[in-house]
Amino acid sequence: MSELLAFARGPFFVLTFTFMILGLLRHIGLRTYRLYQVLHRTPKRDVPWGKIVRNTAGWLLPIRHIFTSAPTMKIASIAFHVGIVIVPVFLADHVFLWSRGLGISLPGLSDRAADVLTLMAIAAGFYLFGFRILNRTARNLSGRIDYFVTAAVLVPLVSGYLASHPESAPLTYEALMLIHVLSANLLFVLMPTTKLAHVVLFPFDRLSPEIFWRLVPGAGDRVAEALRGNRQGAEA
Amino acid sequence: MSQTTLAPPETGTPEPPAPAKRKYPWYVIKPREGERVKAFLEAFAAILRYSNYKPALDQYSRSSMKCSSCTTNCPVYATTHDPRDIPCYRSGLLLKTYRRHFTVGGWFAAKVSGDPGLTEAEIDEMADVFYRCTACKRCTLECPLGIDHGLLTHLGRWILSELRIVPKGLEISVIEQLHGETGNTSAIPAHALKDTLEFLEEELLEMFGIPMHYPVDEPDREFVFFPAVSDYLLEPETLMGNLAVIHAAGDAGNWTIGTGYFDGINYGLFYSDHVLERTIAKLVGEVARLRGRKALIGECGHASRSAKEFVPVFGGDLTVPVVNIMEYTLRQIEAGKIVLDPNIITEKVTYHDPCNIARSGWIIDQPRKIIRAFCPNFVEMEPHGRNNLCCGGGGGTVSVDEIHEFRMSVAGRMKADQMRATGAKYVIAPCANCKKQLKELIEYHKLDTKLVGLHDLILKAIVIPGAKSPAERAAAERGE
Ligand code: SF4
Repeated sequence: MSELLAFARGPFFVLTFTFMILGLLRHIGLRTYRLYQVLHRTPKRDVPWGKIVRNTAGWLLPIRHIFTSAPTMKIASIAFHVGIVIVPVFLADHVFLWSRGLGISLPGLSDRAADVLTLMAIAAGFYLFGFRILNRTARNLSGRIDYFVTAAVLVPLVSGYLASHPESAPLTYEALMLIHVLSANLLFVLMPTTKLAHVVLFPFDRLSPEIFWRLVPGAGDRVAEALRGNRQGAEA
Repeated sequence: MSQTTLAPPETGTPEPPAPAKRKYPWYVIKPREGERVKAFLEAFAAILRYSNYKPALDQYSRSSMKCSSCTTNCPVYATTHDPRDIPCYRSGLLLKTYRRHFTVGGWFAAKVSGDPGLTEAEIDEMADVFYRCTACKRCTLECPLGIDHGLLTHLGRWILSELRIVPKGLEISVIEQLHGETGNTSAIPAHALKDTLEFLEEELLEMFGIPMHYPVDEPDREFVFFPAVSDYLLEPETLMGNLAVIHAAGDAGNWTIGTGYFDGINYGLFYSDHVLERTIAKLVGEVARLRGRKALIGECGHASRSAKEFVPVFGGDLTVPVVNIMEYTLRQIEAGKIVLDPNIITEKVTYHDPCNIARSGWIIDQPRKIIRAFCPNFVEMEPHGRNNLCCGGGGGTVSVDEIHEFRMSVAGRMKADQMRATGAKYVIAPCANCKKQLKELIEYHKLDTKLVGLHDLILKAIVIPGAKSPAERAAAERGE
């Protein structure tokens, strides 16, 4: 088991982490290029940056959206996000990894703060998972992938917490670490390949209502022409 | 979803002898039969190739979180609680098709999971649900991922329209507008327009005691005027209010109506970029013909939005600034050129924000400032402004008679409650679409209120020096 753990922590970790970074960079590059394309094809090119930045900032901490509906779900969602953004980056053990692997030095969380944030994120995560199952509307919308992704974020959280509290853990430290590291590696793979990509794509979210209605002059004619061509081709 | 659920739950009336079959929830003139899946995918592919929708679909299919936040803001879903009315579900139908057929990852996932791809039943479902959405974009305000479901509804309808799956109520008007002799959605010939204008001038003369004129085909004017053309048939008071304001502001010589094209309506906004562009071309073409400098749009939400947003996109060299008549009127009031008597409309009034001008934040305060200038008893509906509730007839659905019951008891139900709650004598709705829908709602829900345009009330309260005063006109109207 220790060999497997060493592999998961070593080369496998490097591989998946690199995959994630490259994948996310690709998303950013692609999305930026596509927006450039959109604006390039339409004569109306002004972008209301101020409004977009304001809206993005507003959604980063969406307090005013909490009470519009399902407030507990919204609060759980905020708690979940705060936890899963802060803990994996600033946990003391991870800060050590950052400096050893990449030479980046970050301030570490105190153990107590880390515990509180982790438990908060775990509780919120389970609530969100339950919400998908129990809320009729959310259930109607959710597919397998939605449950899977939520679970995939929860496993490293729970296993990490238990590994740092071995006295109350049902499994050995080593087994927990193995689960923790493997599930984290899986998460790195899922990050750019599923909707988890929103970790880097959220700044583009508020651009969309401003930009995507910039239609293309002549597109209608060209579409009609192409379809006429198809039909004639089929008849010939 | 089975065929039976596609029939509109609301149709209780027997079918009239129809030129077109009711396979869809509304009449369709000549829908594409046969290989619809292939045709749908071909249309989708062509649109992706030549338009700007691919980046939107990429982004949305990546970010759609299925969190259900949008549901709380949708008046349709709030009323039906039917899963097919969830904004994210409906958009998901299109996104799913996009992923499966136009992305490598989606194609691969479909292969692995044995997903057969787009089906005939899914096309039927899309035809149904895309016209159960009023494209009011209220859901977009609550989507944490910023998904513009209104855009996807528009795109879905465009693809369907390339299969000629479009409600007849919309298509027939567009055919007349783009190919017909009259060239407008209400099929009003130019001579009938002139007769109407003459009639309105006579009414105004009687009302005010002074002559006022609608200038016709005058070249080199600042404004060329485009109301929703149906106003010429249905909203004489709005049009008279428009003229009274322009006359009183001293702009009688600065505007004109063109007989070459006089329709602000643009149903392309609802279902097709192709129609949208060609209609804009007619509008800017008429302004150019008359060597006008600006397009002045009447009281109509979708006419104003389509001109404001898409003249700069499709206008080419002929692009001109677009002004909504309420913007114009407010400017005149603020410049002190228009005086409104605050003692005429003393009853309680409320204001309905047309989604197409309010959701973006463009026209929210202007009408309120005008109303506050002469209606001392103004109350707001809740919610209002940017977060307003759709009248329930948005996105062109108001022109689809077959779904009248749906518009009354589902899409417009919350609006009816909202109007009732204000207890207002007048509901002001500066939009041809909203006016029709709200009038029907008032009748259907037996509300004790009257639907008016903003300029209808201005017409009553405007003070024009040398003309009969508002009080005199009111007395004359009462027959004193
Ligand atoms: S656009 Fe309006 S009607 Fe359509 S789903 Fe969104 S809120 Fe509902």
